[in-house]
Amino acid sequence: MTPSFRLSDRQVGLLFMAPFIVTALVFMAYPVFEALRMAFFSYNPLRPDDIRFVGLRNFEFILNDRLFWDSFYQATIWTLVSIVFQTVLGVGLAMLLNQSLAGISIFRGLLLFPYIVPTVVIALNWRWIFNPEIGVVNYALKSAGLISENIYWLSTPDMAMASTILLNVWKYTPFVIICVLARLQTIPLELYDAAKVDGAGAWRRFLDITLPHLQEVLVVVVVFRTIWTFNKFEEIYLLTRGGPGTSTFNLAVYSFEQSTANLRLGVGAATGAVMMALLLLGSIVYIRVSGFGREEKAL
Amino acid sequence: MTKKEAGRWTGIGRRDFLAGTAALAAGSAAFPAPAIAQAQRVARVWGEPGPYAGVFVQGMNEWAQKNAPGLRFEVETIPWDGVYVKLMTDLAARRPPALISVEHPIAFQLMAEGLLEPVDDVAQRVNAASRMVDGLKLEHYGNWKGTQFIMPAHHQGHLLLVQTDVIQELGLGDPNSWSWNELANAAKTVSEKKPGMAGITLALGRNLCTDYHFAALLHQAGGMTYDAQNKFEVAFDSPATVEALEFVKRLYAYMPKGAVEYSFLQVVDQHVTGKTAMSFYWGRTMGRAAEEAPAVFAKMEAFNHAKHPTTGRRSTWTDLQGWCIPKANNPYVKEVKEALVYVQNSVEWGVKYCHSLMPNVAPVYKDVAAAADMPSHPFFKTKPKSVETYFTGYVPNISSTANELLRGANPLAGICHGRSMWAQVVQRVLIENVAPAEAAKWGAKQFEEIRRENIRLVL
Repeated sequence: MTPSFRLSDRQVGLLFMAPFIVTALVFMAYPVFEALRMAFFSYNPLRPDDIRFVGLRNFEFILNDRLFWDSFYQATIWTLVSIVFQTVLGVGLAMLLNQSLAGISIFRGLLLFPYIVPTVVIALNWRWIFNPEIGVVNYALKSAGLISENIYWLSTPDMAMASTILLNVWKYTPFVIICVLARLQTIPLELYDAAKVDGAGAWRRFLDITLPHLQEVLVVVVVFRTIWTFNKFEEIYLLTRGGPGTSTFNLAVYSFEQSTANLRLGVGAATGAVMMALLLLGSIVYIRVSGFGREEKAL
Repeated sequence: MTKKEAGRWTGIGRRDFLAGTAALAAGSAAFPAPAIAQAQRVARVWGEPGPYAGVFVQGMNEWAQKNAPGLRFEVETIPWDGVYVKLMTDLAARRPPALISVEHPIAFQLMAEGLLEPVDDVAQRVNAASRMVDGLKLEHYGNWKGTQFIMPAHHQGHLLLVQTDVIQELGLGDPNSWSWNELANAAKTVSEKKPGMAGITLALGRNLCTDYHFAALLHQAGGMTYDAQNKFEVAFDSPATVEALEFVKRLYAYMPKGAVEYSFLQVVDQHVTGKTAMSFYWGRTMGRAAEEAPAVFAKMEAFNHAKHPTTGRRSTWTDLQGWCIPKANNPYVKEVKEALVYVQNSVEWGVKYCHSLMPNVAPVYKDVAAAADMPSHPFFKTKPKSVETYFTGYVPNISSTANELLRGANPLAGICHGRSMWAQVVQRVLIENVAPAEAAKWGAKQFEEIRRENIRLVL
């Protein structure tokens, strides 16, 4: 028997895409829209029925708040330093892992470990590891004779910032390694052979062959890592709660504190809106400056 | 392989898959939620970390088994620093728990916000007012404008925990007779003479525990944050605040340097691992030392705080913790009230509650305190003096940020704790090296802003 109606291939394709589209609308588009809307309202979550439109007052509040600017500055430092270290280490380690040695695939797998373990587990473990009195880091350093006094990893503003950066670099460098390694494996070996014949040394080959081939992937990696790091909340919150003082606050922690501790959900939402605008602008500028995709267009 | 062949190969084509999925969805819709939901109703109860809320809920379930078949009370543990997040999400989602036991400043905030169910009827049925232990009044637990909103659960003040062997060895005298100077000198002597051991440990991180530790010193010096008897005017910018901040700074020299990030757990860790001779803490440290560090426990005693040299006060921040019932979107108000009456009228459950974490939660009712079973806990033999101090000896020194020097309930304190305001002031002095007088001024400005923003709660 012939069916009374038959879906076209296009319709079938759309139906298969529907779950993703619906999920994206419900879990991505709607929350973003709701957060943007909330940025213009005063909303105390203890009184969910008492919502008032306040125009731009939430934005005015954050722009006049010294802690917002401190958090912005600290977020910038934390992001820039983390990204530089992740990129440099990621490229270096990927090049090492690109060698064809016995058992290298096991080593590649092991390097993914920090990226796989949940952040909560890592942060709580690192709190113990960094504990000045009973932590393993100080114990190891003391046992090796490298220090005589305990280092207070999370107790001074500078050390706390350095420790959170260290955690971020340790956890996310494997992401850079995976991306870079994948690209490295597609570079034709003939190019290196030809360069060697022409007398190019290792550094020259890296600059003239490897780096240009990595450019596109590095642009993508840096953009993604910048967005994810700038927005990062759980690592800082679990490791230092933004302290000591407010020395490791970033904008995500600031937004959380405004929303939950201060019960100013509108101010928290306004902070999120500002973060989104900053990252969007930064990404556009960076992609333009780096020339990402220009080659394809020229073709 | 053609599309048709691919379909044959997998045994199912894309269209068949879609048709099957649609049929499955339709089938699910036709047979909604089976009878599982009707089998048992669950009423959530929030309690702070520790076994005592769980014990209380067991008592409530005993009532439920006899009187409300199909109803079960279930405890949810909320960490101290996570209360606001939980409150925010659950109340905003209009899904509050059926009953809350939370530190009283936050409960007072909920009370003044009008979010709680009055419990005068419960208080009457358990005869609460006349059963209270000497020095405590029912209204201390949460009475707002003449209505009782919170039923007492326990009282717990932090005390000066001392390793007496260290103090005796160094000839530092009786901690019970100390004033601030002797306390600071004792801490100094220990840190100088006992390598690897801090003289004293307080929480000084940006957290609730620091709020509570500092508030005790502030009140000992005769200071206050708000004056509940003068329209809740801010009273923080005072010589007493400066003096308390200077004293914290003085003590910090004899604390672990990491204290500026310490909260509840780290102070307990420090003491139980034998890395400090003294600390400010509630009874929990003693309970944990008994389990994990018998040698530390053997020499540990709790004392009232050192007295302030001029005011003579030995105030301590005390949690007058009670049970409160969210009013809106709570389908279990009636059952919760009945269960509360049942458990609070039971001396047996009262004793079990206190015994669940000795000597952390002191009894609020005289009949429970005097119950024949109460002294059956081994701590009454091993640590009688400390238990007596935690249970009754410190009561004359009760104070808190939500009822400063017992001059009246203050619902603004919950909001201030949500922002760890006192801790922020302390951290300004210790981390940013701001002068205590300047930090007091800065703090007063913040407290004033909180008052202005929330004036509707208090006036």
